[in-house]
Amino acid sequence: MGYQKTMTPEERLAIIQRYIAKMPPLPATVTKVMAICNDPNATPADLNKIISLDPVLMGKVLRLINSAYYGLVQEITSLVRAIIMLGINTVKNLVLSTAVLSTLGNRRNFQALNMDDFWRHSLSVGVASKLIARKRGAPRNRLEEYFIAGLLHDLGKIPLNNRFSQDYQEVIHRSRSDALPLHVAEKASFGIDHADVGRLITDNWQLGADISDTLFFHHTLEGVAGDNREIIHSVALANYYVNVKGLGFSGNCCPQPVRAENFSGLDITLDYLESVEQEVKSEIERALVFLRVAG
Amino acid sequence: MHVRFWGVRGSVASPGRDTVVYGGNTACLELRLNGSDRVIIIDAGSGIRSLGAHLIRTRSAPIEAEIFLTHTHWDHIMGFPFFDPIYRPNTRLKVYGPITYEEDTLDRIVGDQLSYRYFPVRHSELSAAISYHQLREEEMRFGDGLRIKTKYLNHSLLCLGYRFEYDGKVLCTGYDTEPFQNVFSDDPASPGYDPVVCEEGARAVADANKALLDFFRDADILIHDAQYTLREYSAGKSGWGHSPMEHAIQTAIAAGVRKVVLFHHDPDRRDAELQALESKFRAAQPSGAPEILVAREGMQLSA
Repeated sequence: MGYQKTMTPEERLAIIQRYIAKMPPLPATVTKVMAICNDPNATPADLNKIISLDPVLMGKVLRLINSAYYGLVQEITSLVRAIIMLGINTVKNLVLSTAVLSTLGNRRNFQALNMDDFWRHSLSVGVASKLIARKRGAPRNRLEEYFIAGLLHDLGKIPLNNRFSQDYQEVIHRSRSDALPLHVAEKASFGIDHADVGRLITDNWQLGADISDTLFFHHTLEGVAGDNREIIHSVALANYYVNVKGLGFSGNCCPQPVRAENFSGLDITLDYLESVEQEVKSEIERALVFLRVAG
Repeated sequence: MHVRFWGVRGSVASPGRDTVVYGGNTACLELRLNGSDRVIIIDAGSGIRSLGAHLIRTRSAPIEAEIFLTHTHWDHIMGFPFFDPIYRPNTRLKVYGPITYEEDTLDRIVGDQLSYRYFPVRHSELSAAISYHQLREEEMRFGDGLRIKTKYLNHSLLCLGYRFEYDGKVLCTGYDTEPFQNVFSDDPASPGYDPVVCEEGARAVADANKALLDFFRDADILIHDAQYTLREYSAGKSGWGHSPMEHAIQTAIAAGVRKVVLFHHDPDRRDAELQALESKFRAAQPSGAPEILVAREGMQLSA
């Protein structure tokens, strides 16, 4: 897409909406896969059935199983075989990670932003959000939602970056030179920011309200109330921490500080986040093998 | 090739008056090669403590050893902090073993046992030079004509069987494992029943069990998981990742093995039971079938 600074916000919105309508529908599988993988009572038949519904995911899982990582002598040609030979726990972990990480790992989606840096940032926020949730004693069955909400919080940047790549480079530049948070610079140039676009995507994909609200509100915490307040604040805090630490990069050269009341409301201190830095980093290293497969 | 058993128990060390004959230490084997000074150790269960003392007592030269871990369940690594050579500055150790994707690296999994929360000495304070190497399913040459093949077994964690080939002789380990089974129901009444999946599962099981027999083929010595009796296995222990003794023996027969050693005894298995089982199995063996031995601490075998 060329240089189109003269477009009106309405024209830009229409372009983004057309792009979103064509984004591959992954979420139904991902949420079901997560539910199955996190259910200790799920049977091998349940797991096989859900994966079989998504041939792309199935292909990626088999590719990983047959990669040098396991060095298997006999090629494993079906998920049934993988479950029998490697065990359901190993396969569950492979499937879960592959499903989540292969979601957006298409290089064509990345132009102004560097895909690896973007993913590293997103993964770090996902991992940090989950650690915050764990520290706060969130129920075990909700931890993955924190992870997914954190992982996907910047999803709205992908269509902006893809459709208006040249403009988006300028927006990132402006964020740096004018010391503006990226979403403010986006709004000034496009009339729409990645939070708005994120919500359009989640509406289209019919993701849950917790994830949808996180994408929409993670830069505008004032006045956020209701059931999803905790997850939104946790992701916002994780995002700030990850930006300050420079774990990956998603275009925001000037992250807004998260106010003290967010810390006190969450009962989390910066010291705690400092203390889990190593854990965040090692989780990311482990995920890199999947990034390579997903690419 | 010579193998010496320093720990034969599974799950957890089980000292007491009912285990004095066969021993209560968990898995540890010492392998020696004819004409070579190399020390090869398989697993670092609690039995490795006595092996360490023995090495220090009997060797004048600094200790160099290779440790092959079958997997990293606790009964196979718990002795590592008590292996005295790790505190000697001239010791050189190479530790090999498999890891599962979700876990940390091998040095973390084994080495983190030496952290203050578990132990008074930290891994970073050890005097010995220790390196860690992840193994997959593979075939390797290890110098002096020693070849090692590895194969994933059927356990709740990725677990490797080893096949050591040296000077025309073969020693295999087949623990911790149980027969591969079709986990996809063949009962049309079950909720997830799918005939195609069930058939694919049955084929996968047949292939996996055959591949394992090929891996053990013609071994001089096969040291095999035998935690349960068939009766125990059938009464609720199936799927726990361990074999019935009868399966170990059948495997040895089918693979043309010369000696099969029943290994990884249940911590509740008393000496009297093991003695009775050993006599029973031996009496039932037809001539020409593999020799059956029940592993006991201190036992030495040569191939």
